Amino acid sequence: MTPMESYTTSKESEHKSKHVNFKPSTGFHTNDYSNNYIHTGSMPQKHVTNIENPVEGYPKLQKLFEEKDKQISHYATTPFGCKVEIDSMVPKLNSWIQKDNLNFDVVMIGCLTDNQFIYPLLTQLPLDRLVSKPGFLFIWASAKKINELTKLLNNELWAKKFRRSEELVFVPIDKNSPFYPGLDQDDDTLLAKMQWHCWMCITGTVRRSTDGHLIHCNVDTDLNIETEKTRNGAVPSHLYRVAENFSTATRRLHIIPARTGWETPVRLRPGWVIMSPDVMLNNFDPAKYKKEISRLGCNIPLKNEIETLRPKSPIQKAS
Amino acid sequence: MNLDLIHFLIENHVELCKVPVSGNIRDIFSLYLMSRDRVVDMDSDALVQVMTYNDFINELKDVEIIVPGSIIFKNENAPSPHEFDTITFIDVVPLKILYYMHFERKDKNSDSFDSRKSSELKTQPPLPTPISSPQPFDKFMDLLDMEKMDDMKTIRNNPLNKVLLTKLNNILETEPQSYQLGRERAKESTPITNYIPSCMNHEHSSILSSTVYIVNNKIISMQWSKLSKYEIENPEFVECLQNNIHYVPNLKPQTDLSLGDCSYLDTCHKLNSCRYLHYLQYIPESLLTKISNETKKKNDEIEQNGYKIPFYSHGNCSSVAVKEQLPPQWIKCDVRKFDFNIIGKFSVVIADPAWNIHMNLPYGTCNDIELLQLPLNHLQNDGVLFLWVTGRAIELGKESLMNWGYKVINEISWIKTNQLGRTIVTGRTGHWLNHSKEHLLVGIKGDPRWVNKHIDIDLVVSTTRETSRKPDELYGMIERLVGPHARKLEIFGRDHNIRPGWLTIGNQLTGTCIHEMDVKTKYDKFIANNNKNKENRYRLPNQQQKQNNNQNQSLNKIQRQPDFNRNNHKRFNMSSQPLLSQNNNGINIMTNRNQINIAGSIPYSIQERTETSTPIQNTYFASSTASSSS
Repeated sequence: MTPMESYTTSKESEHKSKHVNFKPSTGFHTNDYSNNYIHTGSMPQKHVTNIENPVEGYPKLQKLFEEKDKQISHYATTPFGCKVEIDSMVPKLNSWIQKDNLNFDVVMIGCLTDNQFIYPLLTQLPLDRLVSKPGFLFIWASAKKINELTKLLNNELWAKKFRRSEELVFVPIDKNSPFYPGLDQDDDTLLAKMQWHCWMCITGTVRRSTDGHLIHCNVDTDLNIETEKTRNGAVPSHLYRVAENFSTATRRLHIIPARTGWETPVRLRPGWVIMSPDVMLNNFDPAKYKKEISRLGCNIPLKNEIETLRPKSPIQKAS
Repeated sequence: MNLDLIHFLIENHVELCKVPVSGNIRDIFSLYLMSRDRVVDMDSDALVQVMTYNDFINELKDVEIIVPGSIIFKNENAPSPHEFDTITFIDVVPLKILYYMHFERKDKNSDSFDSRKSSELKTQPPLPTPISSPQPFDKFMDLLDMEKMDDMKTIRNNPLNKVLLTKLNNILETEPQSYQLGRERAKESTPITNYIPSCMNHEHSSILSSTVYIVNNKIISMQWSKLSKYEIENPEFVECLQNNIHYVPNLKPQTDLSLGDCSYLDTCHKLNSCRYLHYLQYIPESLLTKISNETKKKNDEIEQNGYKIPFYSHGNCSSVAVKEQLPPQWIKCDVRKFDFNIIGKFSVVIADPAWNIHMNLPYGTCNDIELLQLPLNHLQNDGVLFLWVTGRAIELGKESLMNWGYKVINEISWIKTNQLGRTIVTGRTGHWLNHSKEHLLVGIKGDPRWVNKHIDIDLVVSTTRETSRKPDELYGMIERLVGPHARKLEIFGRDHNIRPGWLTIGNQLTGTCIHEMDVKTKYDKFIANNNKNKENRYRLPNQQQKQNNNQNQSLNKIQRQPDFNRNNHKRFNMSSQPLLSQNNNGINIMTNRNQINIAGSIPYSIQERTETSTPIQNTYFASSTASSSS
């Protein structure tokens, strides 16, 4: 009798004798999800088991995320939207810088679409005046676009001002996702695109070990996988969360140099000024914003619970 | 008589009959409306709306009646023979005559067609205000109605435009058939690996923790009585147990559940004292045998299918069904000082250099500059290179690829998972953020038309293993990309990297094993030259001479290795012979390119290569072989 047959017979007699063999197998088994994708079409990233709650199994981290969430929402400005056509973004930002004397500590540019005008924005915008020092810049685009921007960001002037510090990745869950990159500008790639990239740049000096009032390192990871819950807008909340968890700054700006259309509206988010041609509300007023910031402060204050929980650099023993 | 329409037909007659419009009258109708929309503005709103598809057809027919033969209709799918749905040809000459005749007449009447248009353009009325009632609630609702807002502002005749836009989108989103065919073929020909789904129910794992009997971190048995009790409370529990992988908490006296899971889980070195929670994988033996048998059955089918050659042969070598894969080959050498001309050209190269990233790794890292100076530009004429990079090296890697003549075409992310299939989120794995993934740059050189694109996606989800060991999934992906018989090279490989069909080089390999005759000859010559040069150039001090002797001995050893017996050589040479002849017959141009790469043993003239190959300047290579023998 082959093992196969013995299995089927045991299953058939299961109801009668209630005897099932639970003998454990030895050796560690791992699945080859790439192979499984070829045969079943089920995408490898679907099999990651902590997509919904990345810190599952780590109560300390879970607590840290909750505490940070509370603290961040407590010190968040009114959600602001600034509805501007792509062509008038640079003049608008320039007037903020020159007339209203505004600047931001966290500036995020771009969202998850290939049809973006990031290059002209980066070349025309006096970014070093818009972003304060120390400041943090996040640029989201397709891996290909990011690659093309390499030339710009590697040129000396840029590299001096903004240090490329991490490369973040956002992964849509499958081909039905609104964030699936699709075939757009994908004629010569060898593998189907399934990810978005982000450059995290730092300007000015921050030190991981000593600047805990400015940045909280190693809270988030450089990878985010899409969850069902965040499909209702143009920008999944993960993108904002990474920036919020990393920098304690309260002045945050998101520029979306792309049309996203009414089907995928750009929603507002507390603590952010969002500039887009498709943002749902147009309520930004520099004076009001500055007033709010002066009330909140430029940085979220330290909180003991968070300080004890967050990962820190090992303390160097005094020699 | 519709002059606009005639003008439109004259202006666009070529585009209208060509792909993608292909003379479809419905499409022409919407294009016509759009063009009118652009020329005539708001006030003729009524005109545009009044015109229906039937009007349009009638007007087209009118034109055809006035100037017979100017428009040739064809009936493809229309229900009745009197209706038409496509235009196959538009004769411009009679239409032009008609148009100018009317134009002149109109000119005499001082009602110029053009002036009419321009006057209309000038007197554009302001946009009608969309909100007539200033009620705040209505205003709010209007604001929310984004679709309507869009309609008002930008595009009129939205439904028609939308049809065209969706059509355009569909065209852009349609994959080339080659992708689908490639995927279909891969599905039919790739052997299946055992796949067992994981249980996602947390309750099950806690039930199991109280029923298993664990000795020495191994599950020994289960209490059947308890299980059957749980089964009554949670039906389908036993079924789940029999079909899925479960992770059973490995509770120990010191385990403190409030601490949560250990960051290292199954790789924890302090299993017997660590207070965090660890898990054991539980798969019933019956399930494993069931899956293995199913897999084996399917794989047998696939193997049998392998003898049926698929009609879709793009990228495959022409003798794909009978050609055997070469057994693993490897060369222990210092990559920095290796003469790459010895090993010929490859379809695919993987390189996993130990980038110098200020970390204490259990092996020597080489300098970034040294990596950049590697002559990797010699390895491929047309082909793909996979380069593993970490953090800071991403930029450096892209730069290196460009220097070697490659274009970065893809970036694969390896999503690293742990024993439980979760991403790695703890342990300060990066400087600013934790690192849950690694990057693999994909560079392309020349025009490798034989690759099979878009079979796999640019993601790998796989568990981490020993330090810096990369996932094996990549090999499968590459074999699907370039075909199983392409020549494949891995640089900086270790013993666990050697595998059939691949040549692995690196300084941490054990010994050397070459099956391709020409590579072997050149390699032996290279070693011999190397030794001779050394002897001629320098009078070696006694100690080094001794080492040199050692080295010769080790070389002899390599040559005497069982893998190198003559039969083996013969076998592989013979199998590559018929290949070439098939190539010369020009069976498949696409595979031809691949073939040349595969049968690297023949196209290279050995003399030329060895003459041009520079003698190795350094003693490193020799001493490294010597050390292998000790």
